[in-house]
Amino acid sequence: MPMSRRRPWRVRLRESAVWRSIVRTPPLDSPRGRALRSFGNVFLHLYPVRVPRAVLAFRSTFRLGFIATVLFAILAITGTYLMFFYTPAVTMAYGDMQQLRTRIGFGQLIRNVHRWGAHLMVLVVVLHLVRVFVHGAYKPPRQFNWVIGVGLLLVTLAWSFTGYLLPWDQLAYWAVTVGSDLVHYAPVVGGPLRDFLLGGSTIGQAALLRFYVIHVAVLTIAFLLLMAVHLWRVRKDGLAAGDPPHAHDVTARAADDARIAAIAGAALDIAEPPPTVVTGDGATVARPVPRVLGVVPPDPLSRAARPPDDEVFSWPHLIVRHQVVALATCALVLALGIAFEAPLRDLANPNLTPEPAKAPWYFVGLQELLAHFDPLVAGVLAPAVLVGALVMLPYVDRNPSRRPRDRRLALAIFALLFGALVVLTVIGAFFRGPGWAFVLPWDALYFEP
Amino acid sequence: MDDAMLPDPVARGTVTRRELLEAGWKIGGGLLAVAAAWTSWEALRPLADVSGGGVLALKPASSYTEGTATFVREGRLYVTRAGGALHALAQKCPHLGCAVPFCAASGRFECPCHGSHYDLAGEWLAGPAPRGMDRHPLQVIDGRVHVNTTVLELGPPLGTDRVRLPTREGGCAPPAP
Repeated sequence: MPMSRRRPWRVRLRESAVWRSIVRTPPLDSPRGRALRSFGNVFLHLYPVRVPRAVLAFRSTFRLGFIATVLFAILAITGTYLMFFYTPAVTMAYGDMQQLRTRIGFGQLIRNVHRWGAHLMVLVVVLHLVRVFVHGAYKPPRQFNWVIGVGLLLVTLAWSFTGYLLPWDQLAYWAVTVGSDLVHYAPVVGGPLRDFLLGGSTIGQAALLRFYVIHVAVLTIAFLLLMAVHLWRVRKDGLAAGDPPHAHDVTARAADDARIAAIAGAALDIAEPPPTVVTGDGATVARPVPRVLGVVPPDPLSRAARPPDDEVFSWPHLIVRHQVVALATCALVLALGIAFEAPLRDLANPNLTPEPAKAPWYFVGLQELLAHFDPLVAGVLAPAVLVGALVMLPYVDRNPSRRPRDRRLALAIFALLFGALVVLTVIGAFFRGPGWAFVLPWDALYFEP
Repeated sequence: MDDAMLPDPVARGTVTRRELLEAGWKIGGGLLAVAAAWTSWEALRPLADVSGGGVLALKPASSYTEGTATFVREGRLYVTRAGGALHALAQKCPHLGCAVPFCAASGRFECPCHGSHYDLAGEWLAGPAPRGMDRHPLQVIDGRVHVNTTVLELGPPLGTDRVRLPTREGGCAPPAP
């Protein structure tokens, strides 16, 4: 076989029996290969074979859900690394933190990346929620996936909060003291619930171990389950940005159909699209098939006649974009980890409260609210109503339109509530000093992430 | 007896085997869930608080003079004498659990977290706290102060002003807005 000897080793490898037992589908360079890879490969199966072209636009999702998934992966990897060097005991935890800095190779960097990645994940998940709301992407058929998304947000917050305690320094101890004491304002159940979480009435060994187990095991399992359902449903329903235009607007959709029918010069049966479409210059062509941009001429039809379900292959168009976003996310957290050190204050001291003691930044808006209103209102009712409203939203908001001008009331209410939350958080984080007194951040900054 | 004479099973109020089994696994599943919840609660509920259990025998009552607050580390509490009476005040702020320091300059307890102020009797003066400082029962036995840290009594409600104390100039943490 002189021929095979001359062929490059990569080709020979791909044709070997072992390789073909691992990758059982044709390569991705043909439509058939792309389709079969999506069906036959567990990882690529997360993507459909084809996606609507509109999904490729960055502004369709800002890739926020995908970035959150990437951050989850980064946190899982760095978190596993940290677990090798951490003991959840009050006598050990703080020393382990110092060892990470002084003795473990890249220990401090991994800790930095874990911390900034965690803060970034809370931020990205919240922005994802805002994006989905503004695009109306929680409307049918995606109502329940919104509810699952709210669950993922709560798990993310709980994750960040439980992780906050683990370094066992003054920052951790008092932020979690203040944060968990918010719970006890809930009538009847608040006190017992707080003690149940902490394993006692004060934060001590039991609380540290509980937070650790919740952080590394309970929430991880909960997150994976919810994320599996969340992604599965996105995969089944498609992205909202890829819905046919005006999919939820009956009149606009009828106008669209009439327009296409006029171009086709015939009455159009909506349920059964014709196999051919008439182009602008009168020629009859077959309905466009999914195509690879740049390979096939981009405009085989006149723009007006292009049917709304214009699709492209996920590989390479969407997946390559995702790879770029994933790399950019990794680069960002790595840069943050190199530039900024995760804080480690003095060893936790239950007898000495540093001034001021603030909850972690995502709860500091709640703390600010607590300074102005009755604890029952601010500490319990407000967050409960907020979460309840988020869960109920897709069932309360029956307006089928996703166009902003049809949703003025919904957008106004959301903007008001979200704006209030941002303002309270900014005031609490940057404008409060010792004794919760008002300070200007450029005079003295009392904010520690 | 003739079969036709018997009422049909539905009318007699009996259940079919299928209905019984369908109800059975739901009841079984429910019992399993209750058992799981119960065992989880038994396993995870807080143990009796080991940190503050017991009666602390402290110094003679006469050593706590009017207008002073003495920190007792073992019980994380202050023994104060205000208006002639002795008080054992828990250090934990009833607002959000910060450790409240005593400010000698103002003669008050001033919480650094959110600006709650209390007088020497633990009565609320200012800030977002929902009540005065929590306290432990205090007894003087044979001239010595005994504080029972197993019992924590909630502080007096806002506006309580049984103990009138002279105000001093100065302060440590500014009061909340």
